[in-house]
Amino acid sequence: MSVWSVEGLASHVDGFRLGPIDLDLRPGHAVAVLGSSGAGKTTLLRTLAGFVPADAGRVVRDGVDLTDRPPEERALGYVPQGLGLFPHRTVERNVTYPLELRGVTDALERTRPLLERFRLTAIARRYPTRLSGGELERTAIARALAAEPELIAWDEPWQALDVEARYELGRVFEELRETAEVPVVVVTHDPSLAFAVADSFLVLRAGRVGLRGDATALLENPADAFTARFIGFENVFDRATLEAGPARSFTAWLRERAGPEGIAFGRPEVVPSTGLTGAWEGVVRSARPTPDGLAVTVVVDALSVALRMPLPLSAPVPSVRAPLRFTVDEKNLHPLGPVGLSSTDHP
Amino acid sequence: MSTLLDPPRRRWRTGPYWLALQLVLSGSLLLLFLLPIYALFTYAPPQRILSDAANPVVRAAIGLTLFASGIAVLAAVVFAIPLGYLLARRPFRGRSVVESLVALPVVVPHLLVGVGFFFLLVPGSPLYRFTTAIGFPVYDTIWGVVLVMVFVSAPYTVLAADLSFRAVDGRVLEAARSLGAGPGAAFLTVTFPLALRGIVAGLLLTWARAVSEIGGILILAYTVYPGGPYNGPVTSTLSVLVYNLFQAGDLKDAAAVSSVFLLIAFVLFFLVRLGERSGWVPWRRGELLP
Repeated sequence: MSVWSVEGLASHVDGFRLGPIDLDLRPGHAVAVLGSSGAGKTTLLRTLAGFVPADAGRVVRDGVDLTDRPPEERALGYVPQGLGLFPHRTVERNVTYPLELRGVTDALERTRPLLERFRLTAIARRYPTRLSGGELERTAIARALAAEPELIAWDEPWQALDVEARYELGRVFEELRETAEVPVVVVTHDPSLAFAVADSFLVLRAGRVGLRGDATALLENPADAFTARFIGFENVFDRATLEAGPARSFTAWLRERAGPEGIAFGRPEVVPSTGLTGAWEGVVRSARPTPDGLAVTVVVDALSVALRMPLPLSAPVPSVRAPLRFTVDEKNLHPLGPVGLSSTDHP
Repeated sequence: MSTLLDPPRRRWRTGPYWLALQLVLSGSLLLLFLLPIYALFTYAPPQRILSDAANPVVRAAIGLTLFASGIAVLAAVVFAIPLGYLLARRPFRGRSVVESLVALPVVVPHLLVGVGFFFLLVPGSPLYRFTTAIGFPVYDTIWGVVLVMVFVSAPYTVLAADLSFRAVDGRVLEAARSLGAGPGAAFLTVTFPLALRGIVAGLLLTWARAVSEIGGILILAYTVYPGGPYNGPVTSTLSVLVYNLFQAGDLKDAAAVSSVFLLIAFVLFFLVRLGERSGWVPWRRGELLP
């Protein structure tokens, strides 16, 4: 049971500056670090793990300052991008590796429960080159746990995984969070999967904390266009786009409610074409069935707006270029701008 | 711009004419490799090859060549692998200068190398007196042979080690460190095993280049007298022996001795292949030799 705290951590790699970053990590708690490519997600993990020297700040585990300790003394289960499995070792010898380092003689015996837990027993003698994506992931997490880490730090777990393997890994993560005595930090640029496993989020933008909080907080206040798109808002319009609309149009209506950087909202619902004043009208561009209903895109003024028709469909599937009416609940509009950004970036 | 080595981009290019062209061009090159070997093996009758193989002069030359090339390979292990690691892993100023220096022995005609060593180490020179004083006389000794061999062959191991160490995924290394391996343990358990296959391939090239050397040896150690680790008869390397036989007009013996040596080289390469098949070596079949 370890509590980690990251205090004002800053580092740099080839001119890219990260930080300062503050972060508290508790056992059984999973933090997802989000951000586009080059936002500093990997650098953050590598600084935590001790591969990038810290320029400022501290990494503290249970009151012990680890900032200047080498990677092998941090007890941090770091799973790098691409997993970093040893190609010259079989699955079981990958998993026994940390025990062999400590001179444990019955390493195979001791890691058997881990192999069983991650369903690796049948493939224990295979080399990583002969494994599927899901098997590789399970080997990597089993190996990390074999070292009895005080923190799991995983870079891009879902990279290049097929749908089945992603589902399987989601289960592994859930189990990890429920049973593990250690905090989990997971880096990803896949928000939908991050929502499935993480308790809280840290959004990085250009090496700094853009936003943090739990899922509800992020959805209630996406703060900027980048984060809004990132966490799954499909209707995100920046200020410049909204300036184009004529008076009394849908665009103008949005403009009045937008923040300094624009506005974001989820998929509004389609309403029956008859009656109901106050509804907007667009021209159907596409309609695609999903498990949550029909995903429809309409063009209103010059904006392309994503709509939703819940199942079961109350009306026939709209045809392309047909007019379609929808309403937008003002409560669901999220103005975007630096005001929201600074209010969530607490120290 | 596509070359013959590129995979064809479109289906229609892989027609019968395209295939025929590929076969003719690659076949020509293979024929070029094969024909002189064929000529060597057929010029002298098999009995002559057998009797020459039993000849003490030939045996001494073969023994010296294998012994000296073995020392050259050991020298490559000791000196070339660390240099390769340095080039691969430590960024330093002037690295490109060092890289050019490593490529130099591959480019310079080896006869010139022999002449250069000759000026350095000719009897009477300060370096001659020094090397003799410390027990490494070079001129006309096995050390001269080894010196030339190392010069011409070590670059292959340096380059192979450089490439192999570079090819080791840094993230695999970081995973090892996080799992508790210090820098030394990570090198021994991850970096070196992963680079080993490429390094061994480089050592094989080094050996092959060392045994086939003649230019520098002609100048620096034309005749090898006993001394240092060598206490056999006065002899020369195999390449020099064949050269001498050829110059003396003894063509049948020149061909027969060459054949003996080629057979030995084939057997050695065959053993490596065998090692791959039976799992004696730390890499899988077909990974080192095609």
